[in-house]
Amino acid sequence: MASLVIENVKKRYGQTEILKGIDISIEAGEFLILVGPSGCGKSTLMNSIAGLEDVSEGRILIGDQDVTFSSPKDRDIAMVFQSYALYPNMTVAENISFGLEMRKVPKDEREAEVQRVADMLQIGHLLKRKPAQLSGGQRQRVAMGRALARRPKMYLFDEPLSNLDAKLRVEMRTEIKKLHQKLGTTIVYVTHDQIEAMTLADRIAVMKDGEVQQLGTPQEIYDNPTNLFVAGFMGSPAMNFIPAKVVEHSGSYALELQATQPTLVPFPSADSLKAYAGKEILLGLRPEMITEPQPHKEGAEFVVKADIDVEVIEPMGADTMVLTRISDAEVNCRCNPAYPAKANETIAMMFDTSKAVAFDKDTGQRIDN
Amino acid sequence: MSNPAKRQTTALDKALRFGLYAMLIAMAAVYLAPFIVMLLTSLKDVEEIRTGTLLSLPGSIDFSAWSKAWSGACTGSQCEGMAPYFFNSFKIVIPAVAISTLLGAINGYVISHWKFRGSDFFFAALLVGCFIPFQVILLPMARTLGWLGIANTTAGLVMVHVVYGVAFTTLFFRNFYQAIPVELVKAARLDGAGFFTIFYRIILPVSTPIIVVTVIWQFTQIWNDFLFGVAFSGFDTQPVTVALNNLVNTSFGGKEYNVDMAAAIIAALPTLLVYVLAGKYFVRGLTAGAVKG
Ligand SMILES: Nc1ncnc2c1ncn2[C@@H]1O[C@H](COP(=O)(O)OP(=O)(O)OP(=O)(O)O)[C@@H](O)[C@H]1O
Ligand SMILES: [Mg+2]
Repeated sequence: MASLVIENVKKRYGQTEILKGIDISIEAGEFLILVGPSGCGKSTLMNSIAGLEDVSEGRILIGDQDVTFSSPKDRDIAMVFQSYALYPNMTVAENISFGLEMRKVPKDEREAEVQRVADMLQIGHLLKRKPAQLSGGQRQRVAMGRALARRPKMYLFDEPLSNLDAKLRVEMRTEIKKLHQKLGTTIVYVTHDQIEAMTLADRIAVMKDGEVQQLGTPQEIYDNPTNLFVAGFMGSPAMNFIPAKVVEHSGSYALELQATQPTLVPFPSADSLKAYAGKEILLGLRPEMITEPQPHKEGAEFVVKADIDVEVIEPMGADTMVLTRISDAEVNCRCNPAYPAKANETIAMMFDTSKAVAFDKDTGQRIDN
Repeated sequence: MSNPAKRQTTALDKALRFGLYAMLIAMAAVYLAPFIVMLLTSLKDVEEIRTGTLLSLPGSIDFSAWSKAWSGACTGSQCEGMAPYFFNSFKIVIPAVAISTLLGAINGYVISHWKFRGSDFFFAALLVGCFIPFQVILLPMARTLGWLGIANTTAGLVMVHVVYGVAFTTLFFRNFYQAIPVELVKAARLDGAGFFTIFYRIILPVSTPIIVVTVIWQFTQIWNDFLFGVAFSGFDTQPVTVALNNLVNTSFGGKEYNVDMAAAIIAALPTLLVYVLAGKYFVRGLTAGAVKG
């Protein structure tokens, strides 16, 4: 268990800068999730933390020790690679126990550990096979097992569950969460899965083009994204971005949208919109904030009812997604399946802007905090 | 409707196939002819050779030329046959192949998985070594061997072959190791394994195909070498190729073609054997791609 501090880390390959000054700091025992589009530098950052790539600039501290120039072995880190990287000439059992063997753990302890990990990952029946004889998901679990067999200061997981089927994935997710609660080891974890990110993380770092866009708790990232990119990246379906005009309204400011009719909606920190009076901004509103009219919310401060033109209906079981067009932007609304919305009809919806956010149209930055 | 057309194509197919085989057999015959002539000649006696044609069969199978070539023929002033030189060659080839293969493996491992500043340049420089003709290094090498005090010794010849061969072996291993994912080495480093442990435990066990290729290549090259052998060997460290040359060029009275031929076959046997035994792996190794894992 150790804290992790990444200070202004830059990584260049020749002329191209892949990491452009990463600053991340997490407490000992925290679960950090890295998310970001493909190619944004997540794996590169993981490699840098592990010491497998030298950083071009900056410092990395594990515990309170500067490890920027330490060898991977001395950092006491276990990692699951995106490409599994199983040793092809060794059996599954040998793969799992190799790290223990290198660290001079006695043979009987190694065997017990292999058995424990294999049971947890449900690969007990595969222990004698070679990696080439395994499916992708099985290989991935062996890769997990290789890391979990050790008790390092920190785990690095690079998309460890990406190749598992849905059921196993959920099981493994729970297993990882339990493991983290039990051992309390610091974990850095890369994923493309929204649910994995939200459920596992103590903190999420959203990356783009080699920069951290925002570092915060899952709830902060979800409720308070610092810019359009973060807002659009987290959440599924994504946050709606509705062009809206800032208008003066009874001494403060409100936003004008074009639903079926022009509609005026209130905004929580309306004063922050002052500089944009008369101009257009982007209103960020999560789908679950546009619902069928709910009587108990009627008359609440930031709730407005308005008609919308339904374009498409997507039933999802628990909810039904209603697609519409507001101010010429596509908008998702999350409704109760019982609500009788039909394609190409007009129906009333309830807009709850109590958690709405506003972005500058040109820079994409938040303007209301 | 389609039947006649089909029959036509099968007939054509057959003809083509026949032509193909005829051509293959003809080519095989052309390639085999010299060897057959050598074999036949080695089994005849001198009289038969003089009177018969190249391809006429021997009247009786007579191995006396073989035993003379092996242990009695004169190579220069010595008359002990090919045997001592045959073993000389082994004394050169075995260490030279082993050392150059091992060095090539380590070099390839470093160049593809432990990149250092200038490793690409190092590799490029090494590649140039593949294109340096034998003749060019004769004089400098002679000086070097003299300076090291191993001129005219087996050790000296071994060194020459190792130095010359390491460029090729490195190239072979580097290309093979390039296909091994870098994550494999990274994972092992995180597991706490060091440079040689990774090489020995993870890289070498998957290297069999390329080791076979390299060993065959090096064995053939070094066994068949004549120039280095004639230039750098001493009187009693001559390899078999040099001895063969001396044997053929030494004649008291009539030329004993049967002994010459037997000696030539003896000199060629080990490489032949290596190909027969390991040729399958050679082809497989040359075409072996990535190590999937
Ligand atoms: N050895 C290298 N040399 C040059 N560029 C590299 C090298 N390794 C990675 N890159 C580049 O660095 C960028 C980041 O790669 P990285 O693997 O970190 O992405 P990632 O965020 O992990 O993506 P993914 O989600 O697809 O795994 C990519 O544009 C990649 O092309
Ligand atoms: Mg990656």
